[in-house]
Amino acid sequence: MHGPISLCHDFESLCTEATASASLLTNPAKLIDSVETFLFDCDGVIWRGDVLIDGVPETVEMLRSKGKRLIFVTNNSTKSRKQYGKKFEMLGLDVTEEEIFSSSFAAAAYLMSINFPSHKKVYVVGESGIQLELKQAGINYLGGPEDGDKRIDLSPGQLMQHDPDVAAVVVGFDRYINYYKLQYATLCIRENPGCMFIATNCDSVAHFTECQEWAGGGCMVGAIKGSTQREPLVVGKPSTFMMDHVTSKFNIKTSQICMVGDRLDTDILFGQNEGCATLLVLSGVTTLETLQSADNKIQPHYYTPTISELLAAKDLANGLHSSLL
Amino acid sequence: MCPSLAFVAIVEKNSVTIAICVAPIRTLTSPLLRLSAASPCGTKSTVFGCLLRSFENRELSVRLRSSSSLDARNSRGRMNCCAQVGAEAGGSAPFLTDHTTLIDSVETFIFDCDGVIWKGDSLIDGVPETLDMLRSMGKRLVFVTNNSTKSRKQYGKKFESLGLSVSAEEIFASSFAAAAYLKSMKFPTDKKVYIIGEAGIQLELKQAGINYIGGPEDGDKRIDLTPGQLMEHDHDVGAVVVGFDRYLNYYKLQYATLCIRENPGCMFIATNCDAVIHLTDAQEWAGGGSMVGAIKGSTKKEPLVVGKPSTFMMDCLASEFNIKTSQICMVGDRLDTDILFGQNGGCATLLVLSGVTTLETLQSSENKIQPDFYTNKISDLLAAKKVTTNA
Repeated sequence: MHGPISLCHDFESLCTEATASASLLTNPAKLIDSVETFLFDCDGVIWRGDVLIDGVPETVEMLRSKGKRLIFVTNNSTKSRKQYGKKFEMLGLDVTEEEIFSSSFAAAAYLMSINFPSHKKVYVVGESGIQLELKQAGINYLGGPEDGDKRIDLSPGQLMQHDPDVAAVVVGFDRYINYYKLQYATLCIRENPGCMFIATNCDSVAHFTECQEWAGGGCMVGAIKGSTQREPLVVGKPSTFMMDHVTSKFNIKTSQICMVGDRLDTDILFGQNEGCATLLVLSGVTTLETLQSADNKIQPHYYTPTISELLAAKDLANGLHSSLL
Repeated sequence: MCPSLAFVAIVEKNSVTIAICVAPIRTLTSPLLRLSAASPCGTKSTVFGCLLRSFENRELSVRLRSSSSLDARNSRGRMNCCAQVGAEAGGSAPFLTDHTTLIDSVETFIFDCDGVIWKGDSLIDGVPETLDMLRSMGKRLVFVTNNSTKSRKQYGKKFESLGLSVSAEEIFASSFAAAAYLKSMKFPTDKKVYIIGEAGIQLELKQAGINYIGGPEDGDKRIDLTPGQLMEHDHDVGAVVVGFDRYLNYYKLQYATLCIRENPGCMFIATNCDAVIHLTDAQEWAGGGSMVGAIKGSTKKEPLVVGKPSTFMMDCLASEFNIKTSQICMVGDRLDTDILFGQNGGCATLLVLSGVTTLETLQSSENKIQPDFYTNKISDLLAAKKVTTNA
């Protein structure tokens, strides 16, 4: 595979040299002043499931008032950018669709960037977010939630036909995963010459509801890896595809970005791969224990409990102003 | 013709160091290293050693295995020459022409089932006559299958329905292997197994007196991920066994993930990692490797594989029948399970082209697994009968 995508089947190999241990963020003002743009992951940073994390609206407002550009990058492919825009709105946050980059969008954007032929189709193992983005990009597709009710009984002589025009299989989180979809995707990848295997992300678990971690997109991608013995092209974090897209679109330097996320092997690695400042929050899947464990090779620059810790910078600025008056 | 040399290779992650002990292999009374099998799933496991064997009229072939102990006392020194080994290894397997010699050289034939004996529910041509001939020549026949959908007993019935006289004791299915493994490590009676798989695994666990939950019954359960949804899981689950499951769904994937991630010491056992199999005679179907791959993806853990090419089943049957593996010919249709299984166990190996592997795949430069011989299907062995009849 050529182009801006990096194959991310071995996250460890993408790590830069071992960095010094992450420090607790004590000077948020300095961090904020050192960058132009904040890239936020969503699950575990902004919300958990459908519940907003404390202090998020105030933090977002504060950063905007300081003139910072805000971008939201999520590996969760269940919604399109438009649907995420609505979710932000419903939670009372003022975020536009153009500020959101979901891995569902990334899959469609990647296919557009390689001029995916208009007579070809995509088979979707995933949810409506991927379908909506493909539709938006003018790309034909089959599969998705509609195949969730199809059963395979493997009765003698059973044969599954598949569309020979499928030239890419896009795999993301799918709560309606079943054997029909696995087999259909497997046939396309193994038998349609040149058929691509694209993964929106490989996250092992995610906070799909606020109560616990749920098996993530890595599960569905792992299933197709197991039946095809092929590595996917990953468009989501930590692949730099979305970063390259964002920096190109907004004409920003990665050294001017702070990446804020809750997951070391996607968010933090994503930021490190492109030379951004990195801030880990402990409001999601990663605990302090995991961060500091000897097995962990990925160290962000800083860590903090939640993004609302950044609000200390606001107080400092206010305090400074009042002392100058 | 290359010489019959013995090598000791110490393989560490990402590099190979070869220790050359130059001695004709026939003068060595025992292998320098005794190793157990590597699993294709466990690509990240560290391989500690490798035994290379030479074959008459063939170049050295390399077999990689993993081991928990390393004895390199006889090595003369270490040289980094994996390129040499790579160049010397391989040379494509010859087509089997001397059937009599092969049959006479072994006591036991181990047959894979899918793609060797049957395809789906259709018997492959010439199988009954071939098995009869081998039995009449005094050969022991054993059937080893990675397909965990049935128990040994259910497979016995399948053989019977196809007109073959094979008893349950001659059959080693990966469903049985999972139960046998748990028994062998004395799985506690107060613990349970969570099953992603079909009735075969349930029946074997029941037979072994092991408690279980999951299996086909969880096939109708739905997860909607509504706000506030929480999945509870049984904290007494001490092992998750994953095999082929045509009723796979997100409920099962999440349940298994929770058990492995949250129950301390919970084992992740795979019956097999086969990518595709001929579940019906019409085409290849995504195999157990798919279900196992899903759980690897959500837990980031490598499973313990009890099916081929792991030699667990080989050790079981060798012990059960008191046979030496050098007296066995392994016959299968898949290179990375059947043939590797035979090689790992030190058996002669015969690939048949009646299943998933084509001649093109066997002879491709990317293929690193070469059996001793290949043939079209097992009924080619009937040529031996003609020879003995004519003699």
